[in-house]
Amino acid sequence: MPSHSIFESFLVSQGYALFESLGDGKFLAVGDCPSWCRDILELTSQTEELIPLAANSPFLENFLVDAEVFWNSKAEGAVNSGNWVDRDKNGHEVPLEAFALSLDNKRILILQNLSAHLAEQQQWFQTARNSLLAHERLLSEIQKKEILLHCIVHDLSQPLTAITGCFNLLALEKLPPAIEKYVEAGQRESQRQESMIRGILSAFSGDLMEQQASGHTGTAVADLSVCARQAIEQFSSAFKDKGVRLRVAPPLDDSADWRVAGDAPRLHRIFGNLLENTLRYSPPKSTVTIGLEDQGGYFLAFVDDEGPGLPQGLPTNQLFALFSRGKSHSGKAGLGLYFCKITVERWGGTIGAETRAQGGSRFWFRLPRANAKLRDSQATPTEKHSVPLQSSASTSGSTKQISRIGGVWKRLRVLVTEDTEINRELIGELLTKRGHSVSTVSDGLQAIAAFERNRFDVILMDQEMPNMNGLDATRAIRKLETSTGRHARIIGLTGNATSEDERRCLNAGMDAFLSKPVRMEKLYETIESEIQTPNQFEQLRSGPVPLDPAAAEEAAADDESVATHLHRATGGNKKLQDTLVKSFLQDAPKTLSLIRRAIAKRDAQKLASAAHALKGSISIFGAAKAVAIVRNLEAMGRSGHLFDAGPQFRALESEFERMKPELQAVSSVANVKPRAKRKARTKSGRAR
Amino acid sequence: MLQKKICMLGSFSVGKTSLVRRFVESIFSEAYHTSIGVKVDKKVVRVDDEDVTLVLWDIHGEDVYQKIRMSYLRGMSGYLLVVDGTRNPTLDDALALNERVIQEAGKVPAILVFNKSDLLDKWEIDPARESGLAEAGWNILRASAKTGDSVEKVFSQLAAAMLVE
Repeated sequence: MPSHSIFESFLVSQGYALFESLGDGKFLAVGDCPSWCRDILELTSQTEELIPLAANSPFLENFLVDAEVFWNSKAEGAVNSGNWVDRDKNGHEVPLEAFALSLDNKRILILQNLSAHLAEQQQWFQTARNSLLAHERLLSEIQKKEILLHCIVHDLSQPLTAITGCFNLLALEKLPPAIEKYVEAGQRESQRQESMIRGILSAFSGDLMEQQASGHTGTAVADLSVCARQAIEQFSSAFKDKGVRLRVAPPLDDSADWRVAGDAPRLHRIFGNLLENTLRYSPPKSTVTIGLEDQGGYFLAFVDDEGPGLPQGLPTNQLFALFSRGKSHSGKAGLGLYFCKITVERWGGTIGAETRAQGGSRFWFRLPRANAKLRDSQATPTEKHSVPLQSSASTSGSTKQISRIGGVWKRLRVLVTEDTEINRELIGELLTKRGHSVSTVSDGLQAIAAFERNRFDVILMDQEMPNMNGLDATRAIRKLETSTGRHARIIGLTGNATSEDERRCLNAGMDAFLSKPVRMEKLYETIESEIQTPNQFEQLRSGPVPLDPAAAEEAAADDESVATHLHRATGGNKKLQDTLVKSFLQDAPKTLSLIRRAIAKRDAQKLASAAHALKGSISIFGAAKAVAIVRNLEAMGRSGHLFDAGPQFRALESEFERMKPELQAVSSVANVKPRAKRKARTKSGRAR
Repeated sequence: MLQKKICMLGSFSVGKTSLVRRFVESIFSEAYHTSIGVKVDKKVVRVDDEDVTLVLWDIHGEDVYQKIRMSYLRGMSGYLLVVDGTRNPTLDDALALNERVIQEAGKVPAILVFNKSDLLDKWEIDPARESGLAEAGWNILRASAKTGDSVEKVFSQLAAAMLVE
């Protein structure tokens, strides 16, 4: 009878089954083998016979390989098998777990019957997984609602495309100054409507819900005074029409830092919604006042009116509730103030309204001042006026610049595939006026037929069309191209500019996509980016330069320095180099982070999409090695094989780090502060 | 008799256990009982006039709580990568898991099973994605453990493929 240690005896007494390995898959029972174990292993006696443990259990047979490795390694501790279920001789299922360990130089295998413990464990996992399933179902419901919302947005953006297109076309004409003003107003307002539609989409999108759920407040910074000014500029004509005076009081201190934690487009909408609401209740000849106050860690923004004040008996929080409307129902759907509330609160602020003692009402919100870290990472206050405004000045300026440029450097053969006739005609007209050769068709099938008959440089492809949608048509065209070796640039047109749409477009084989309503500048820029990168685009604007794609590719393949490449590509335009580098250095870390997350989560689609985006921006700087890596990552994402993505990403990161000092050296980006000071001086000089 | 080890792989609650039960015992239960370990079953099938014992390793679904031990795949001749056709994320999870399986076990015959084909009104897998995967070389079968539709076919196709290997 073999002797047992106290520990072995203890385990046996607790119902564990212990075996000592004698090699060759043979085991000797240590102590009494419990009946449950004998039933599973189908042992007939309690003799000291050698037991082939693995004979009746494929799972145990597999585990014994790991156990053997462990015993041979002479490592301390134990290795366990994980749970499994075997059947006893009566066919009953028995949950088990095995452990391999070394005791007194003996190779010991312990079997544990988990029947007593499994119920609790099972309950825990069941509850946890039921919760996961419920969460999945909720997400799926949200997604369905989003899709519905996207359909609505799509419908809303269709006529807006036509309106925007009409104004864009008018802006290209030589108009009397008085008419020009109205056209500019039309452009501005259609852009505003577009921004509102997008706002609705973003306010209720999954992204926002995700942010709300996680309590994430983002890292964006917006300038309160800039947004207030923009809103005033935007609404001044509406207030004027109603005979209401709109003013700022007290005057804003331009030298102060009014930056808050939040993003500019949404902040702009908050002001817009409050002004819109105020205008609705303001009598003619009254005054509406916008003001900002510095309250230490917070800024207060308010809009005062001289209207009837808040409805009596209506709790303030109900004013900001979803679908809440005033008694007169003179408002819209009741989304505006609700949007303000959820946005301000998400940014860590508060919002409210009250009837003023002197009459009228005050709507206010308070937002935390942007913290130092965020402020440093974003534009300095003196750069506030460089923020692109959705104002008449900027819009018309841009339009006129393009119209002054006149013809194009390369006449492109463009196929416009769009089912809405007016949009088809307008886009066609805008491109024709630009000097391109345009054909139009109204569905995917016609696009394929046209593609087979003619050669096109660019195909604009709407997503949702009768007979055949744009995604299927794109796939078909890409298939046809495999036999011709040609590649037409296909640009998707979509009413829903979401990352999901982008993914769908790119997966179908599109090269880029444009969101509807299509803006003239963006249309030209996207279409024409086929023939040149943005730097070349600028260069070509000032005069036609012969473009040799083969030479460009060769140059990109060369391992020339970033500085040399940029200099050559921009024709030595330092300002343009600055802009390109600055934009790249700001955006690339975010895209790298997206790629890192996509790889970590094994999300092939997101990897492909992020790598595709980075490829476009990084290629501007030559950077042949980085481009090759990003191209690999994109291909991995597209194929779904992310096996080598980790090492590739690390190579990309080090390549980016290598490029950074070079980029900073060729640009003044490394010296943002001195540039800001210079601007401040200029500005104060102007003020004097 | 020839024995072939088949692993059932996929996310949790996709129906791996139900497929095995339907195949081995011709039983289906509506109630969802999550698996927390491995259960091994056997069934003899006839392939090309030859009896083959399929040793079915029904491995718990992978999620944040439980990861699959790659040692379970040792000696595997083929596997069924099971997806719940009514839950899109389970396809992404399955494809991610497949990467690790190939890394561990190399290329062996596999079938991508879109289970719950009786719930077509709740189907979430994009047909374009399905055809894309088929074009990429995946052998895809839609099946239903509930109705039994294509369940035999799934196992017999995999058995035939394993014998060819």
